[in-house]
Amino acid sequence: MFAIEKPLPRANEDTAPYWAAAHKGELRLQRCDDCGHVRFPPSALCPRCLSQHHEWVKLSGRATVFSWIVVHQSQHPAFNGDTPYNVTIVELEEGPRMHTHIVDCPNDQIRIGMPVEVVFDRVNDEVTLPKFRPAKSK
Amino acid sequence: MKDQVAVIGVGCTKFGDLFETSYEELICEAAFEAFADAGIDPAEIQAAYLGTYMPGPSGGKAAVSLGDALRLYDIPITRVENYCATGTDAFRNGCLAIESGACDVVLVLGAEKLKDRGGRGLPRFGHPLLAKGNSAPGLFALAANRYMHTFGMGREMLAKVAVKNHYNGARNPKAHLRMEVTEEKVLKAPIIASPFGLFDCCPTTDGAAAAILCRADLAKRFRSDYIPVKGYGLAVTTGRPFFDPTFDYLGFRSTQMAARQAYKMAGATPRDISFAEVHDCFTWTEISNTEDLGFCEKGQGGSLVAEGRTSLSGDIPINPSGGLKSFGHPIGASGVRMIYECVKQLQGQGGERQVKNPKLGLAHNVGGPGAVSCVIILGNN
Repeated sequence: MFAIEKPLPRANEDTAPYWAAAHKGELRLQRCDDCGHVRFPPSALCPRCLSQHHEWVKLSGRATVFSWIVVHQSQHPAFNGDTPYNVTIVELEEGPRMHTHIVDCPNDQIRIGMPVEVVFDRVNDEVTLPKFRPAKSK
Repeated sequence: MKDQVAVIGVGCTKFGDLFETSYEELICEAAFEAFADAGIDPAEIQAAYLGTYMPGPSGGKAAVSLGDALRLYDIPITRVENYCATGTDAFRNGCLAIESGACDVVLVLGAEKLKDRGGRGLPRFGHPLLAKGNSAPGLFALAANRYMHTFGMGREMLAKVAVKNHYNGARNPKAHLRMEVTEEKVLKAPIIASPFGLFDCCPTTDGAAAAILCRADLAKRFRSDYIPVKGYGLAVTTGRPFFDPTFDYLGFRSTQMAARQAYKMAGATPRDISFAEVHDCFTWTEISNTEDLGFCEKGQGGSLVAEGRTSLSGDIPINPSGGLKSFGHPIGASGVRMIYECVKQLQGQGGERQVKNPKLGLAHNVGGPGAVSCVIILGNN
């Protein structure tokens, strides 16, 4: 028998600053220099105005739950032992939506519109995953 | 373009777990039923379109499977793949070939053999979070949950779609899951990705379907009850709608756009449609699609099914065939199978599931995360 490990992100040219910031405990995304649009996922061009000029800005980490599901049938064998688990879309205070995982909250208590805040799950010496928990601070 | 192309024959295999039947055999079965239905010699076919997501084992990323299966060599055969809109898009391409003047008679065939391919496999993305939810049920469930929150809908409403479509499918000898289900059974089934349980999801299915198209002015040569193509539309939107801050998760713009194109070409409105085969990969998808196709206002799709208006005897029967939910969903075959059902209904050959006096039938697919949609409108002669 061999174990199938959970996939971990491999940073590329576009996403490296995102993962590096997460590893330092910061949520950073690109803000377009030309139109001000803050975007997720990271990309070379602004999806709104196609500008390539941007700055990696630090976000507040505050968000609300936009939608979520609870997965009972895992699509990846490495996650079989985790079911049922939630997969959640949060809307960040600054506008973008991102996929994430809600922690410190039972699945049946997740609600659309619920205020959440980012927490950083340090997986190993190189990788940290941004996740969200019910908001404690205001 | 309206009334320039006619369907003169259709064929469809039994859908199901067809482990004993090869991909090529499925193609032959659907095609020869269509040839017989049209009363046509296969030698009269001038071009063919194969709608398939995963071509046969010897076919490669090409249309070769169709050529080999039917020994249709020395004519143009093109493979069409466009997510779950593959079958209807293949049909649309067949229409274009005839309207262009390039061909008089075209074969459109959708075929898929999914059950023995290990189609689930590993997820496409190595992303630690996307990988966790990147399944078809997962993606559609994200939209469904937001929709249900917005309109205050519960899972019982979704279950009504499953009950209706299984009722129709149980009356369809070619359907994959030929059994009726109760609302209670649907609600008590194991959850796949909440809010979807097992019976909110269509099955993984093998099958093939075929349609023979010809120039409308030649159609009389083959049969008097040929079925004219009234309109079609295809629209593509972003493949990553869930990150799009302007996407409300309440329905799919690709469906709205494709429908608008098709209605315009047909010179029709949603009210003129007698019945529709609507993409119901999940119960919620049928509800939102009936809204996006214009059969009711946004948010009213649940009442449409709850009031029985989409049942066989309702004013807008949806999925008289049983839909993807009960008939099954061999990806590339599904759209052509919908054409098959529309043609049979418009010819009054719907048997136990015949809808009353249909004038216009609509077939609709939506594929990917709502990224591509194709709509076909057929009339009776």
